[in-house]
Amino acid sequence: MSEHDPGHGEDHGLMKYIYVFIALCVLTGMSFFTYSDLWPWREEPGIGRAFMMAVSCTKAMLVILFFMHVKYEANWKYVLTIPPAIMAVFLMLALVPDIGLRDRSVSEERRRYMAEPSTAAVDGHNVPADAGH
Amino acid sequence: MTDEAHSGHLQLEYQPALPIPNGKLIIWLFLSTEIMFFAALIGVYIVIRFGAPVWPATHDVHLVEPIGAFNTFVLICSSVTIVLSLEKAKSNQPGAAKLFLLATLLLGLVFLGVKAWEYNSKFSHGIYPMTPRSRIHEKADLYFGSAVRERLLAVRAPLAEKGDAARSEEEQQRFLLTAELLDRAATTQPAELALLANDIMPPPGAHDGETHHGLNDEQPWLKLPIVIPGGNMWASTYFLLTGFHALHVAAGLVVFVLMLPMQLGPAKAGFIENMGLYWHFVDLVWIFLFPLLYLF
Repeated sequence: MSEHDPGHGEDHGLMKYIYVFIALCVLTGMSFFTYSDLWPWREEPGIGRAFMMAVSCTKAMLVILFFMHVKYEANWKYVLTIPPAIMAVFLMLALVPDIGLRDRSVSEERRRYMAEPSTAAVDGHNVPADAGH
Repeated sequence: MTDEAHSGHLQLEYQPALPIPNGKLIIWLFLSTEIMFFAALIGVYIVIRFGAPVWPATHDVHLVEPIGAFNTFVLICSSVTIVLSLEKAKSNQPGAAKLFLLATLLLGLVFLGVKAWEYNSKFSHGIYPMTPRSRIHEKADLYFGSAVRERLLAVRAPLAEKGDAARSEEEQQRFLLTAELLDRAATTQPAELALLANDIMPPPGAHDGETHHGLNDEQPWLKLPIVIPGGNMWASTYFLLTGFHALHVAAGLVVFVLMLPMQLGPAKAGFIENMGLYWHFVDLVWIFLFPLLYLF
Protein backbone atom coordinates (compact mmCIF):
# COMPACT_ATOMS: atom_id res chain seq x y z
CA MET A 1 0.00 0.00 0.00
CA SER A 2 2.85 2.37 0.72
CA GLU A 3 4.52 3.89 -2.30
CA HIS A 4 7.51 5.23 -0.42
CA ASP A 5 10.90 3.60 -0.17
CA PRO A 6 11.21 2.72 3.55
CA GLY A 7 14.90 3.58 3.45
CA HIS A 8 14.24 7.29 2.88
CA GLY A 9 13.20 8.01 6.43
CA GLU A 10 10.23 9.93 7.73
CA ASP A 11 11.85 13.37 8.03
CA HIS A 12 13.02 13.36 4.42
CA GLY A 13 9.50 12.48 3.28
CA LEU A 14 7.94 15.22 5.40
CA MET A 15 10.38 17.89 4.17
CA LYS A 16 9.37 17.09 0.60
CA TYR A 17 5.81 18.15 1.45
CA ILE A 18 7.04 21.33 3.10
CA TYR A 19 9.08 22.23 0.01
CA VAL A 20 6.04 21.63 -2.20
CA PHE A 21 3.94 23.77 0.16
CA ILE A 22 6.46 26.63 -0.10
CA ALA A 23 6.49 26.27 -3.88
CA LEU A 24 2.67 26.41 -3.94
CA CYS A 25 2.66 29.57 -1.83
CA VAL A 26 5.22 31.22 -4.10
CA LEU A 27 3.22 30.24 -7.18
CA THR A 28 0.01 31.58 -5.64
CA GLY A 29 1.83 34.83 -4.99
CA MET A 30 3.00 34.89 -8.58
CA SER A 31 -0.50 34.52 -9.97
CA PHE A 32 -1.75 37.17 -7.56
CA PHE A 33 1.10 39.41 -8.77
CA THR A 34 -0.76 39.90 -12.06
CA TYR A 35 -3.39 41.79 -10.04
CA SER A 36 -0.91 44.25 -8.52
CA ASP A 37 0.19 47.57 -10.02
CA LEU A 38 3.72 46.21 -10.48
CA TRP A 39 2.59 43.80 -13.20
CA PRO A 40 4.22 45.28 -16.33
CA TRP A 41 1.72 43.97 -18.92
CA ARG A 42 -1.54 45.42 -17.62
CA GLU A 43 -2.43 46.66 -21.09
CA GLU A 44 -2.10 43.16 -22.58
CA PRO A 45 -4.52 40.90 -20.71
CA GLY A 46 -3.63 37.86 -22.85
CA ILE A 47 -0.15 37.73 -21.34
CA GLY A 48 -1.52 37.85 -17.83
CA ARG A 49 -4.05 35.13 -18.53
CA ALA A 50 -1.50 32.82 -20.16
CA PHE A 51 0.81 33.41 -17.19
CA MET A 52 -1.96 32.65 -14.69
CA MET A 53 -2.95 29.44 -16.46
CA ALA A 54 0.69 28.32 -16.60
CA VAL A 55 1.02 28.99 -12.87
CA SER A 56 -2.24 27.13 -12.17
CA CYS A 57 -1.13 24.13 -14.21
CA THR A 58 2.19 24.07 -12.37
CA LYS A 59 0.44 24.19 -9.00
CA ALA A 60 -1.94 21.45 -10.10
CA MET A 61 0.94 19.23 -11.21
CA LEU A 62 2.72 19.73 -7.87
CA VAL A 63 -0.44 18.75 -5.95
CA ILE A 64 -1.14 15.78 -8.23
CA LEU A 65 2.43 14.45 -8.33
CA PHE A 66 3.40 14.88 -4.68
CA PHE A 67 0.35 15.32 -2.46
CA MET A 68 -1.68 12.73 -4.36
CA HIS A 69 1.45 10.55 -4.80
CA VAL A 70 0.75 10.07 -8.50
CA LYS A 71 4.49 10.42 -9.18
CA TYR A 72 5.00 7.09 -7.45
CA GLU A 73 2.08 5.23 -8.96
CA ALA A 74 2.24 2.66 -11.74
CA ASN A 75 1.17 3.11 -15.35
CA TRP A 76 -2.54 2.97 -14.56
CA LYS A 77 -2.30 6.68 -13.72
CA TYR A 78 -2.03 7.45 -17.44
CA VAL A 79 -5.17 5.46 -18.22
CA LEU A 80 -7.00 7.41 -15.55
CA THR A 81 -5.84 10.94 -16.34
CA ILE A 82 -5.29 11.18 -20.07
CA PRO A 83 -8.83 10.30 -21.33
CA PRO A 84 -10.58 12.83 -19.01
CA ALA A 85 -8.05 15.48 -19.97
CA ILE A 86 -8.73 14.87 -23.68
CA MET A 87 -12.49 14.90 -23.06
CA ALA A 88 -12.23 18.17 -21.16
CA VAL A 89 -10.51 19.87 -24.10
CA PHE A 90 -12.94 18.44 -26.63
CA LEU A 91 -15.90 19.44 -24.49
CA MET A 92 -14.78 23.06 -24.52
CA LEU A 93 -14.19 23.02 -28.26
CA ALA A 94 -17.60 21.43 -28.84
CA LEU A 95 -19.33 24.21 -26.92
CA VAL A 96 -17.71 27.07 -28.83
CA PRO A 97 -20.01 27.17 -31.89
CA ASP A 98 -23.34 27.05 -30.06
CA ILE A 99 -22.52 28.73 -26.74
CA GLY A 100 -19.36 30.76 -27.29
CA LEU A 101 -20.43 32.31 -30.58
CA ARG A 102 -24.13 32.64 -29.80
CA ASP A 103 -24.00 36.43 -29.73
CA ARG A 104 -22.40 36.77 -33.16
CA SER A 105 -25.63 36.35 -35.10
CA VAL A 106 -28.41 37.59 -32.87
CA SER A 107 -31.61 39.24 -34.01
CA GLU A 108 -31.96 43.00 -33.82
CA GLU A 109 -34.61 42.64 -31.13
CA ARG A 110 -32.28 40.53 -28.99
CA ARG A 111 -29.45 42.98 -29.53
CA ARG A 112 -31.65 45.85 -28.34
CA TYR A 113 -31.83 44.33 -24.86
CA MET A 114 -28.28 43.00 -24.67
CA ALA A 115 -25.64 44.62 -22.51
CA GLU A 116 -23.24 46.82 -24.44
CA PRO A 117 -19.56 47.45 -23.90
CA SER A 118 -18.98 50.77 -22.25
CA THR A 119 -17.70 53.55 -24.50
CA ALA A 120 -15.26 54.40 -21.69
CA ALA A 121 -13.60 51.06 -22.45
CA VAL A 122 -10.81 49.75 -20.24
CA ASP A 123 -11.24 51.65 -17.03
CA GLY A 124 -11.95 48.70 -14.79
CA HIS A 125 -15.68 49.08 -15.26
CA ASN A 126 -17.94 47.24 -17.71
CA VAL A 127 -15.10 46.25 -19.96
CA PRO A 128 -15.56 44.41 -23.26
CA ALA A 129 -15.40 40.68 -22.66
CA ASP A 130 -12.09 40.23 -24.43
CA ALA A 131 -10.29 42.96 -22.52
CA GLY A 132 -8.60 42.85 -19.16
CA HIS A 133 -9.22 44.78 -15.98
CA MET B 1 2.68 -17.81 -12.29
CA THR B 2 1.96 -21.40 -11.43
CA ASP B 3 3.43 -23.63 -8.78
CA GLU B 4 3.34 -27.37 -9.22
CA ALA B 5 3.03 -28.98 -5.83
CA HIS B 6 4.06 -32.58 -5.06
CA SER B 7 0.58 -33.86 -5.73
CA GLY B 8 0.69 -32.41 -9.25
CA HIS B 9 -2.17 -29.99 -8.63
CA LEU B 10 -1.71 -26.52 -10.04
CA GLN B 11 -1.53 -23.80 -7.40
CA LEU B 12 -2.80 -20.66 -9.00
CA GLU B 13 -2.00 -17.37 -7.39
CA TYR B 14 -4.46 -14.52 -7.50
CA GLN B 15 -3.06 -11.52 -9.36
CA PRO B 16 -4.94 -8.26 -8.90
CA ALA B 17 -5.46 -6.25 -12.05
CA LEU B 18 -4.00 -3.15 -10.45
CA PRO B 19 -1.37 -2.95 -7.70
CA ILE B 20 -3.60 -0.85 -5.45
CA PRO B 21 -6.32 -1.67 -2.90
CA ASN B 22 -9.95 -1.67 -4.01
CA GLY B 23 -10.73 1.43 -2.00
CA LYS B 24 -8.04 3.43 -3.73
CA LEU B 25 -9.18 2.22 -7.14
CA ILE B 26 -12.74 3.25 -6.36
CA ILE B 27 -11.75 6.68 -5.13
CA TRP B 28 -9.68 7.27 -8.26
CA LEU B 29 -12.60 6.20 -10.47
CA PHE B 30 -14.81 8.58 -8.52
CA LEU B 31 -12.25 11.37 -8.92
CA SER B 32 -12.13 10.79 -12.67
CA THR B 33 -15.90 11.39 -12.78
CA GLU B 34 -15.41 14.50 -10.68
CA ILE B 35 -12.70 15.67 -13.08
CA MET B 36 -15.22 15.40 -15.90
CA PHE B 37 -17.87 17.17 -13.82
CA PHE B 38 -15.71 20.16 -12.99
CA ALA B 39 -14.09 20.19 -16.42
CA ALA B 40 -17.59 20.58 -17.85
CA LEU B 41 -18.45 23.43 -15.48
CA ILE B 42 -15.14 25.24 -15.88
CA GLY B 43 -15.10 24.66 -19.64
CA VAL B 44 -18.58 26.10 -20.01
CA TYR B 45 -17.61 29.08 -17.87
CA ILE B 46 -14.59 29.77 -20.10
CA VAL B 47 -16.69 29.52 -23.25
CA ILE B 48 -19.48 31.72 -21.86
CA ARG B 49 -17.13 34.30 -20.42
CA PHE B 50 -15.09 34.84 -23.56
CA GLY B 51 -18.11 34.58 -25.83
CA ALA B 52 -20.08 37.22 -23.94
CA PRO B 53 -20.28 40.69 -25.51
CA VAL B 54 -19.48 42.30 -22.19
CA TRP B 55 -18.38 40.90 -18.82
CA PRO B 56 -18.28 42.76 -15.51
CA ALA B 57 -14.94 43.61 -13.98
CA THR B 58 -14.32 42.10 -10.55
CA HIS B 59 -14.95 45.34 -8.69
CA ASP B 60 -18.31 45.79 -10.43
CA VAL B 61 -19.53 42.65 -8.72
CA HIS B 62 -17.77 43.20 -5.39
CA LEU B 63 -15.20 40.45 -5.81
CA VAL B 64 -12.17 41.02 -3.62
CA GLU B 65 -9.07 39.36 -5.05
CA PRO B 66 -7.01 39.25 -1.82
CA ILE B 67 -9.80 37.27 -0.18
CA GLY B 68 -9.69 34.73 -3.01
CA ALA B 69 -5.92 34.50 -2.61
CA PHE B 70 -6.33 33.97 1.14
CA ASN B 71 -8.82 31.16 0.48
CA THR B 72 -6.32 29.58 -1.91
CA PHE B 73 -3.66 29.72 0.78
CA VAL B 74 -6.06 28.16 3.31
CA LEU B 75 -6.83 25.22 1.02
CA ILE B 76 -3.15 24.68 0.20
CA CYS B 77 -2.40 24.56 3.94
CA SER B 78 -5.22 22.05 4.42
CA SER B 79 -3.74 19.85 1.67
CA VAL B 80 -0.42 19.88 3.54
CA THR B 81 -2.05 18.98 6.85
CA ILE B 82 -4.02 16.04 5.42
CA VAL B 83 -0.91 14.59 3.78
CA LEU B 84 1.01 15.04 7.05
CA SER B 85 -1.84 13.27 8.84
CA LEU B 86 -1.41 10.35 6.44
CA GLU B 87 2.35 10.21 7.06
CA LYS B 88 1.82 10.25 10.82
CA ALA B 89 -0.77 7.49 10.59
CA LYS B 90 1.57 5.36 8.48
CA SER B 91 4.37 5.79 11.02
CA ASN B 92 2.01 4.73 13.86
CA GLN B 93 1.57 8.13 15.50
CA PRO B 94 -2.23 8.26 15.80
CA GLY B 95 -2.26 11.29 18.10
CA ALA B 96 -0.31 13.43 15.66
CA ALA B 97 -2.39 12.08 12.77
CA LYS B 98 -5.55 13.17 14.55
CA LEU B 99 -4.14 16.63 15.26
CA PHE B 100 -3.30 17.15 11.60
CA LEU B 101 -6.75 15.87 10.62
CA LEU B 102 -8.31 18.35 13.03
CA ALA B 103 -6.18 21.11 11.49
CA THR B 104 -7.47 20.11 8.05
CA LEU B 105 -11.04 20.25 9.32
CA LEU B 106 -10.52 23.69 10.86
CA LEU B 107 -8.90 25.06 7.71
CA GLY B 108 -11.80 23.72 5.66
CA LEU B 109 -14.22 25.47 7.99
CA VAL B 110 -12.25 28.71 7.58
CA PHE B 111 -12.56 28.34 3.82
CA LEU B 112 -16.32 27.86 4.04
CA GLY B 113 -16.63 30.76 6.47
CA VAL B 114 -14.80 33.10 4.10
CA LYS B 115 -16.97 31.83 1.23
CA ALA B 116 -20.11 32.53 3.26
CA TRP B 117 -18.88 36.06 3.96
CA GLU B 118 -18.23 36.57 0.25
CA TYR B 119 -21.70 35.30 -0.65
CA ASN B 120 -23.21 37.63 1.92
CA SER B 121 -21.40 40.60 0.40
CA LYS B 122 -22.90 39.69 -2.98
CA PHE B 123 -26.41 39.21 -1.57
CA SER B 124 -26.26 42.49 0.32
CA HIS B 125 -25.63 44.27 -2.99
CA GLY B 126 -28.55 42.55 -4.71
CA ILE B 127 -26.42 40.02 -6.61
CA TYR B 128 -28.13 36.63 -6.48
CA PRO B 129 -27.83 33.60 -8.76
CA MET B 130 -31.19 34.18 -10.37
CA THR B 131 -34.30 36.32 -10.48
CA PRO B 132 -36.56 37.35 -8.81
CA ARG B 133 -34.10 37.91 -5.96
CA SER B 134 -31.38 39.14 -8.30
CA ARG B 135 -31.73 42.88 -8.85
CA ILE B 136 -29.26 43.01 -11.73
CA HIS B 137 -30.22 44.67 -15.01
CA GLU B 138 -28.09 44.50 -18.13
CA LYS B 139 -28.78 48.05 -19.26
CA ALA B 140 -30.13 51.29 -17.83
CA ASP B 141 -33.15 51.07 -20.12
CA LEU B 142 -36.88 51.61 -19.66
CA TYR B 143 -37.27 48.21 -17.99
CA PHE B 144 -34.69 49.26 -15.43
CA GLY B 145 -36.48 52.53 -14.86
CA SER B 146 -39.77 50.68 -14.48
CA ALA B 147 -38.22 48.25 -11.97
CA VAL B 148 -36.82 51.15 -9.94
CA ARG B 149 -40.23 52.83 -9.82
CA GLU B 150 -41.88 49.56 -8.84
CA ARG B 151 -39.48 49.08 -5.94
CA LEU B 152 -39.83 52.70 -4.80
CA LEU B 153 -43.62 52.44 -4.83
CA ALA B 154 -43.43 49.22 -2.80
CA VAL B 155 -41.21 50.91 -0.21
CA ARG B 156 -43.31 54.07 -0.20
CA ALA B 157 -46.75 52.42 0.10
CA PRO B 158 -46.70 51.66 3.87
CA LEU B 159 -45.25 55.13 4.53
CA ALA B 160 -47.95 56.79 2.47
CA GLU B 161 -50.68 54.93 4.38
CA LYS B 162 -49.43 56.35 7.67
CA GLY B 163 -49.83 59.98 6.78
CA ASP B 164 -47.51 62.90 7.59
CA ALA B 165 -48.44 63.17 11.26
CA ALA B 166 -47.92 59.50 12.12
CA ARG B 167 -44.51 59.15 10.50
CA SER B 168 -41.34 59.32 12.53
CA GLU B 169 -38.53 61.63 11.41
CA GLU B 170 -36.68 58.78 9.74
CA GLU B 171 -39.82 57.60 7.98
CA GLN B 172 -40.51 61.14 6.79
CA GLN B 173 -36.99 61.36 5.32
CA ARG B 174 -37.54 58.05 3.56
CA PHE B 175 -40.88 59.28 2.25
CA LEU B 176 -39.28 62.39 0.79
CA LEU B 177 -36.32 60.49 -0.67
CA THR B 178 -38.58 57.99 -2.43
CA ALA B 179 -40.60 60.90 -3.89
CA GLU B 180 -37.42 62.49 -5.25
CA LEU B 181 -36.20 59.21 -6.72
CA LEU B 182 -39.59 58.48 -8.28
CA ASP B 183 -39.31 61.79 -10.14
CA ARG B 184 -35.89 60.85 -11.42
CA ALA B 185 -36.93 57.32 -12.38
CA ALA B 186 -39.92 58.63 -14.37
CA THR B 187 -37.60 59.77 -17.17
CA THR B 188 -37.42 58.00 -20.51
CA GLN B 189 -34.00 59.45 -21.41
CA PRO B 190 -31.27 56.76 -21.44
CA ALA B 191 -28.62 59.22 -20.27
CA GLU B 192 -30.65 60.17 -17.19
CA LEU B 193 -31.42 56.55 -16.42
CA ALA B 194 -27.71 55.80 -16.68
CA LEU B 195 -26.99 58.60 -14.20
CA LEU B 196 -29.60 57.19 -11.85
CA ALA B 197 -28.02 53.74 -12.17
CA ASN B 198 -24.63 55.26 -11.31
CA ASP B 199 -26.09 56.97 -8.26
CA ILE B 200 -27.67 53.73 -7.07
CA MET B 201 -24.43 51.75 -7.47
CA PRO B 202 -21.47 53.84 -8.66
CA PRO B 203 -18.75 52.24 -10.75
CA PRO B 204 -15.52 51.61 -8.85
CA GLY B 205 -12.56 53.95 -9.19
CA ALA B 206 -10.84 53.72 -12.56
CA HIS B 207 -7.44 52.54 -11.33
CA ASP B 208 -7.58 51.91 -7.63
CA GLY B 209 -10.85 49.98 -7.76
CA GLU B 210 -11.97 51.79 -4.66
CA THR B 211 -15.65 51.24 -3.99
CA HIS B 212 -17.73 54.38 -3.96
CA HIS B 213 -20.89 54.24 -1.92
CA GLY B 214 -24.16 54.84 -3.68
CA LEU B 215 -27.78 55.01 -2.67
CA ASN B 216 -28.05 51.26 -2.00
CA ASP B 217 -25.09 51.45 0.39
CA GLU B 218 -26.06 54.66 2.18
CA GLN B 219 -29.74 53.69 2.43
CA PRO B 220 -29.71 49.87 2.67
CA TRP B 221 -33.50 49.75 3.07
CA LEU B 222 -33.88 50.98 -0.53
CA LYS B 223 -32.63 47.79 -2.24
CA LEU B 224 -33.07 49.35 -5.65
CA PRO B 225 -32.37 47.49 -8.90
CA ILE B 226 -28.79 47.85 -10.16
CA VAL B 227 -27.18 47.90 -13.59
CA ILE B 228 -24.26 45.56 -14.18
CA PRO B 229 -23.80 44.75 -17.89
CA GLY B 230 -23.15 41.04 -18.16
CA GLY B 231 -23.91 40.74 -14.45
CA ASN B 232 -26.66 38.12 -14.67
CA MET B 233 -24.53 35.65 -16.57
CA TRP B 234 -21.62 36.42 -14.27
CA ALA B 235 -23.75 35.72 -11.21
CA SER B 236 -25.08 32.45 -12.66
CA THR B 237 -21.64 31.10 -13.45
CA TYR B 238 -19.97 32.39 -10.28
CA PHE B 239 -22.55 30.92 -7.91
CA LEU B 240 -22.71 27.66 -9.86
CA LEU B 241 -18.96 27.09 -9.85
CA THR B 242 -18.25 28.22 -6.31
CA GLY B 243 -21.46 26.66 -4.99
CA PHE B 244 -20.65 23.21 -6.30
CA HIS B 245 -17.10 23.56 -5.06
CA ALA B 246 -18.30 24.61 -1.61
CA LEU B 247 -20.66 21.60 -1.53
CA HIS B 248 -17.73 19.33 -2.24
CA VAL B 249 -15.71 21.01 0.51
CA ALA B 250 -18.62 20.55 2.93
CA ALA B 251 -18.95 16.86 2.01
CA GLY B 252 -15.25 16.38 2.72
CA LEU B 253 -15.58 18.12 6.07
CA VAL B 254 -18.44 15.81 7.05
CA VAL B 255 -16.23 12.79 6.44
CA PHE B 256 -13.39 14.39 8.42
CA VAL B 257 -15.76 14.86 11.36
CA LEU B 258 -16.72 11.19 11.14
CA MET B 259 -13.05 10.22 11.06
CA LEU B 260 -12.11 12.16 14.18
CA PRO B 261 -13.29 9.54 16.72
CA MET B 262 -11.31 6.78 14.93
CA GLN B 263 -7.95 5.42 16.00
CA LEU B 264 -5.80 6.77 13.15
CA GLY B 265 -3.04 4.18 13.14
CA PRO B 266 -1.48 2.24 10.26
CA ALA B 267 -4.69 0.23 9.80
CA LYS B 268 -6.55 3.43 8.91
CA ALA B 269 -3.79 4.82 6.68
CA GLY B 270 -5.59 3.60 3.56
CA PHE B 271 -8.80 5.36 4.56
CA ILE B 272 -6.91 8.59 5.31
CA GLU B 273 -5.10 8.31 1.99
CA ASN B 274 -8.38 7.92 0.09
CA MET B 275 -9.95 10.88 1.86
CA GLY B 276 -6.76 12.83 1.25
CA LEU B 277 -7.03 12.12 -2.47
CA TYR B 278 -10.55 13.57 -2.47
CA TRP B 279 -9.42 16.60 -0.50
CA HIS B 280 -6.47 17.25 -2.81
CA PHE B 281 -8.87 17.12 -5.72
CA VAL B 282 -11.05 19.76 -4.05
CA ASP B 283 -7.92 21.89 -3.66
CA LEU B 284 -7.04 21.29 -7.32
CA VAL B 285 -10.41 22.58 -8.48
CA TRP B 286 -9.99 25.76 -6.44
CA ILE B 287 -6.47 26.23 -7.87
CA PHE B 288 -8.15 26.63 -11.26
CA LEU B 289 -11.26 28.45 -10.05
CA PHE B 290 -9.34 31.22 -8.26
CA PRO B 291 -7.57 32.75 -11.29
CA LEU B 292 -10.54 32.12 -13.60
CA LEU B 293 -13.05 33.86 -11.37
CA TYR B 294 -10.97 36.44 -9.54
CA LEU B 295 -8.09 37.37 -11.79
CA PHE B 296 -9.27 37.00 -15.38
